Amino acid sequence: MSASPSLASSMLSTMPASTASLPSFSLLEFQPLLPAAILAVTAMLLMLSEAFSVSKSRSYQAILAAVASVVAGFLAFQNTQLPVGLILDGRGVMDGFSSWITLIACFAAGMSSLLAFGFFRQRNAERGEFYGLLLFSAAGMSLLAVSNEFITLFVNLELMSLATYALAAFWRRSSRSVEAGFKYFILGAFASAILIYGVALLYGATGTTQLDMLHHQLPKALEDTPWLTWPGLILVLAGLSFKIAAVPLHMWTPDVYEGAPTPVTALMSAGIKAAAFVALVRVVLHVGDSSVVFLHLLSFLAAITMVVGNLLAIAQRNVKRMLAYSSIAHAGYILIGVAALFTANHLGNDVGVLSATNVANPTAETLRPMALQGILFYLLSYAITVVGAFGVLAAIEKREDDGAADAWDLNKLSGLATRRPGWALAMALFMFSMGGIPSTIGFLGKLYLFKAGISAGLIGLSVLGVLASAAGMYYYLRVIVYMYMKPSPETEMGARHWSTEFVLAASAVAVVLLGLLPGPLLDWLRQAALFAPN
Amino acid sequence: MNASSSPLLNYVVFLPMAFAFLVLLLPGNEKGQIRFATLLGMLVNLVTGIWAFAAFNPAGSEFQLEYRLFWLSDLGISYHLGVDGLAVALVLLTALLGPLVVLSSWRFVEERVKEFHVCLLVLQTAMMGALCSLDVMLFYIFFEAMLIPMYFLIGVFGSEERQKAALKFFLYTLVGSLLMLLALLWVFFLSGPEGTRSFDYAALYNNLMEANREVSLCMQNNAHCSNLSATAAALLKWGPWMFGAFALAFAIKVPMFPVHTWLPDAHVQAPVAGSMVLAGVLLKMGTFGFWRYAMPLFPAQAWAYQNVLVALSLIGIVYGALMCLAQKDIKKLIAYSSVSHMGFCMLGMLTFQAEGTMGAAYQMLNHGVSTGALFLLFGMLYERRHLRNMTDYGGIAKAMPIFTVFFLIITFSSIAVPGTNGFVGEFLVLLGTFKSNLPLWAGILATTGVIFGAAYMLWVVQRVFFGPVTQQANAGLKDLRFREFVTALPLVLLVFVMGLKPQPILEVLSPSVKRYVARVHQAKPNPESNTARELLRMHVRELPTPKLAQAQVDDSQPLNQPGERQ
Repeated sequence: MSASPSLASSMLSTMPASTASLPSFSLLEFQPLLPAAILAVTAMLLMLSEAFSVSKSRSYQAILAAVASVVAGFLAFQNTQLPVGLILDGRGVMDGFSSWITLIACFAAGMSSLLAFGFFRQRNAERGEFYGLLLFSAAGMSLLAVSNEFITLFVNLELMSLATYALAAFWRRSSRSVEAGFKYFILGAFASAILIYGVALLYGATGTTQLDMLHHQLPKALEDTPWLTWPGLILVLAGLSFKIAAVPLHMWTPDVYEGAPTPVTALMSAGIKAAAFVALVRVVLHVGDSSVVFLHLLSFLAAITMVVGNLLAIAQRNVKRMLAYSSIAHAGYILIGVAALFTANHLGNDVGVLSATNVANPTAETLRPMALQGILFYLLSYAITVVGAFGVLAAIEKREDDGAADAWDLNKLSGLATRRPGWALAMALFMFSMGGIPSTIGFLGKLYLFKAGISAGLIGLSVLGVLASAAGMYYYLRVIVYMYMKPSPETEMGARHWSTEFVLAASAVAVVLLGLLPGPLLDWLRQAALFAPN
Repeated sequence: MNASSSPLLNYVVFLPMAFAFLVLLLPGNEKGQIRFATLLGMLVNLVTGIWAFAAFNPAGSEFQLEYRLFWLSDLGISYHLGVDGLAVALVLLTALLGPLVVLSSWRFVEERVKEFHVCLLVLQTAMMGALCSLDVMLFYIFFEAMLIPMYFLIGVFGSEERQKAALKFFLYTLVGSLLMLLALLWVFFLSGPEGTRSFDYAALYNNLMEANREVSLCMQNNAHCSNLSATAAALLKWGPWMFGAFALAFAIKVPMFPVHTWLPDAHVQAPVAGSMVLAGVLLKMGTFGFWRYAMPLFPAQAWAYQNVLVALSLIGIVYGALMCLAQKDIKKLIAYSSVSHMGFCMLGMLTFQAEGTMGAAYQMLNHGVSTGALFLLFGMLYERRHLRNMTDYGGIAKAMPIFTVFFLIITFSSIAVPGTNGFVGEFLVLLGTFKSNLPLWAGILATTGVIFGAAYMLWVVQRVFFGPVTQQANAGLKDLRFREFVTALPLVLLVFVMGLKPQPILEVLSPSVKRYVARVHQAKPNPESNTARELLRMHVRELPTPKLAQAQVDDSQPLNQPGERQ
């Protein structure tokens, strides 16, 4: 290690409060943690319920999990109005962005527990542990959103991930589920190791793990110890790219998404994606201004993620895998917004088609909020849509098909429009929304995102983005073709469950309603400030 | 200028949607009820359409019947409806075709009746919305939304290869319009500093007008290029790309050569109703888009690429006609004739000159009537025999005399025989082409298209209707039923009305034509001609920034200035 005495001493001097005397926190500083606390406490209750409950019925578990999510979501919504600033001695951050991500996490958790209600009841596999893990995962997402320090970030990332590894393997009677959990765990642990290794290198180079301090130390560190700082930054970004499933670190996604029980897949694609993005945004925001390389890196990452995700999705006949690849593609679109976050400081750097053109003299002050709203709205719209889409899959999934090779073939959707017109209509809406067709929330999300992209001058990237999304429409339409234009097979449909139907109806209504009349949502999102370094 | 706001267009746009919800609530096996409810919805739409047409005052301001509400103002988008002369004429055409489309499929669709009619009504709303939008993003939303019902109409209710055709239709249009969306966003950011930007058509046009003038001056004379404003410099540099994106989106819709290949497939596979709407209204969205958005927003680029677009239109005219001569499938033939006819529309608009543009506008309406009627009439024949090849027919005239008369009249309209509507349009287009700055051979080439047009249409008539009855099944065909007669009659009558007394419609179109020509002429390389100067002086003025509908608007929230509210 090269940690010179001066570095070590500067490190010590940055944390006097925590070593010298006990810091005093105001009550306000705990408020952003409240949703996570509620989720975690409920999770523990659910865990204990398995040990102490004498009642045979377990219906209350899903309801309890959903109610806890609603309460936590409501508190998170209240929190969006809090002032912006660092909390808990700089380890956490309080801003609208994190509260909105918490809200999305709560939404995902609540919807997935409702989906799981019907799903596991049909399989006689309702367990309190499942909902407990689900809420732990959501609590991890929520805490990840407020993390402003690498160790905190890492611990919360692990809280979220470990719970999800177990969830992915939860349906242990199916070999695929076990395989998915195993794969996810091995690769996820590998990615975490990469992340923490990068953090260690950065700590060595800058003497801090706190993001806002890192921001100040980084230019100097890049100059003094580039051979330590650069690997550290790259490893951190690689670890986070794994979590958002950006190409080339996307390989785990299709297998895990396919194998995991469908309600868990819904949670992963809606919640984990959002939480991982908030971590990425925070890190990138603090390190991005220091070098133009990050702009190139993120633009390149966005470009290949969009293109590869969409192209691979086209080749899939398995709907669940198709949606998994499409989730990779969506991560690519969001990366455009992430790249736009700090283009303002790097205009005029010519790197071919992906370079940033000066379109409207963007400044960081005008660009950042726009890009941030774009990312946030897109995450929200994607969460609503994808929960619905996996919800439809969970609804039509039959117990007998578990583990069958063609369990998710497009054929399973054949003639859905005549057998279950409501589900088919909802699925069609979700597909149009994912494709970004107007009058759905997905269109507004894309509009926001590409608006930020164009405003940032990322013209080449945006063009690539819309072309990729046009290609993406091909496989979304194929789902509709099977539902509406293929004859219905004679097999029987699975049973209905009210909670599944509720999820489908709520998501479908939200997709259209928020797509046409987002009403105050846009206002709220605009006020969602992001704590940014200055 | 025109502060009055009228809710009429809301009804024009959204009443079909309301009826769609009504139909959705009806039981699925009550086919009669569903059909009547849809027909009623379309008739109501027709009434509102006629009302709007009657309420439009050609001598009044450019956009009338305006209605504006706040909607997505954070993004610079508002809900703003209004029509000019061309739009209101197309609204009338769309409204007129609506009930006929429903009647044409009265017996044709027997399965999934409810979905079919819901699609028709939703499509009607989307088309009306695209025509009536005065906010570019609102237009885009309706423009894209049209794809969904049309996709289902082709994909669910079409013939054998329907899924492929529907997909092709959807993806072609989507690629073009998505690129246009980016160009639109780009223009939006160019149009002004933060806070003054808006997707409102008038505001966008006004914001770009000065920059466009600078660009065109610079393009004529390099001496003017030295002190361009930032907007003008960007427009000079990137304008061709933006214009290209707009042009591509609309060219696909028109469709122009070489992006027309989706059209024959879509037409052949679509059900009668789908073909009628597709040919009648949807294709006009392309020409309408050029007219309303691509040309006025980028006049300098429009001049710069005039020759390219004219060349493509001419290829479309001649190539479409030649393809017709080679077809056996009648529906495909009509589809290629659409390519040829829409080429005329484009050619007329690209003359940038009054007669030609007027001809183009009139030709848009004509094509809606005549090609819509061709698909309608052929659909009646198809319903009886379910065959599309010309060789399967012959001597139909003996069995179906009234049908033959109708078809002949429409054929005459299609080949522009004097006295029919087609003559007025094509004559004006050719006249404009010869009078314009385009080379002489352009006009001559276009004229050959007319001749080929006559050749292939008369050839169809000869082989299908006259001569001996080649197949026994054709001898026993029944002539038109009452419903079919009533469906076809309005279009047949319209051929003569529009052919013999075009004045009322020309009068409505004329202010739009003058404004279009004048706007493009702002950027003419060398504005020599007196007429051009005169038009410029008379008709180009800043578009009035529209007033807001009083009742619904909170005064504390001025439009165009998002970011103020808390």
